[in-house]
Amino acid sequence: MMTHEQLESIAALDAIGAASADEATAFRAHLASCADCRRAREEYEQAVSLLAQDLDPVDPPAQVRDRIFMAIDGRDQTGSADDDNVVDANDRFGISRWWMVAAVLFLALWGWRELSIRVSRERINTREAEIRRLAGENQLLTARNEKLSAEMAALAAQDTRTIALTGQQVSPSASAKVFLEPGQRRAVVFFYNLPTNPSDKSYQLWILRGDQPKPQSAGVFDVIQGGGASISIENLPLATEIKGLAVTLEAKGGVAQPTNTNFFVAGST
Amino acid sequence: MTAAMNTSVEHSSLLPAVAHGDLAAFEQLYDRHASTLYALLLRILANPDDAQEVLQETFVKAWTNAKMFDSVRGSDVAWLISIARSRGIDRLRSRKIRGDREDEAGREVSSSFGFVEKRTGADDAIQSEERQAVRGALAELPDSQRITLALAYFEGLSQSEIAEKLGEPLGTIKTRMQLGMKKLRERLKAYR
Repeated sequence: MMTHEQLESIAALDAIGAASADEATAFRAHLASCADCRRAREEYEQAVSLLAQDLDPVDPPAQVRDRIFMAIDGRDQTGSADDDNVVDANDRFGISRWWMVAAVLFLALWGWRELSIRVSRERINTREAEIRRLAGENQLLTARNEKLSAEMAALAAQDTRTIALTGQQVSPSASAKVFLEPGQRRAVVFFYNLPTNPSDKSYQLWILRGDQPKPQSAGVFDVIQGGGASISIENLPLATEIKGLAVTLEAKGGVAQPTNTNFFVAGST
Repeated sequence: MTAAMNTSVEHSSLLPAVAHGDLAAFEQLYDRHASTLYALLLRILANPDDAQEVLQETFVKAWTNAKMFDSVRGSDVAWLISIARSRGIDRLRSRKIRGDREDEAGREVSSSFGFVEKRTGADDAIQSEERQAVRGALAELPDSQRITLALAYFEGLSQSEIAEKLGEPLGTIKTRMQLGMKKLRERLKAYR
């Protein structure tokens, strides 16, 4: 390991191009971190130019001047660093070039980072939307599963009774089956061959009770296509109080009491 | 006009103007320094054709690279000399590799830095004054140091090549070279 003094003494040899390869390598590495040696190197380079200035000047032939001016005609002053002989120029250009390279790299990395962040955000947004969609589907499936489970339970219960509803004058081919589970006071009703209801109407199932003069709504449902539909009913009246069931077409969403007696299907217990 | 004023004008840097594409400044730069550079290249290459080619390369490079010049770190002439000397030594080494240097066998080690030919054009008084100052600085160097520096500077020889050529120990050559350079550096500071 060379001392600073040893390296500074190499400055003189380096300026005159007489430093050995090892000396030159060590000195150039040292220059990057030593302002004193950089200054010494510059001063030695200035000093060594005195050797050339001591020579008696000799005028070059006139055609050399002409050739030079022809050569530079239209040539860009880009300061290209293709001349590795120009130590000073290259040192300065090296510094600015590295700054330029560093700046370009910084901008490229910054741009890449920004792009990556934007892409990541878009991916996150897409995934969040997908999660919301799947959560919605999951809710639907859960609800459907609960409904099917209730229907299966109603169908499979030991005390389940079946009530048949038949098509009436407005839809003679329609029918329905009611699976009533008195112990749980719940029922599942399956409808067949009902006409598709208009979009501003809904079918409404009514319970005709023996203990009350007015029918009780058991729910509304739509028949979109194929004439089929099903409905689950919870909290039914006691089975002994149910006299019959009937379906009317009412305003969308249902009404408190039936507005007509045009039953689509009906039946008694 | 006094010598001091003229010297001040002489030392003003032309390269910043050249860097901005100022052809008049470039012409002035050429007129001011071409003879010094040509003398240097003749001294190194000992061949007018090669010297003229390298001189052309030097000025073309000065034109294209003028933006890289930093006047705080040196003078126009020192920068141009650095380019010309590097290119001249490169040309010399490539010729040595080819083995076709015309005067290789007959070249003698000289204690003088001066070239035998004299400038054919008019040498202005200011440059002569500067040259006298430089010569005064160089005259203070012992012959042994001047020869060692000349072999390194004009012939591009390494320390070991100089030691072999002069039949001296390598350490002696290195010491001479460092002492000679230190004296030149001190004289340069005084000269400025």
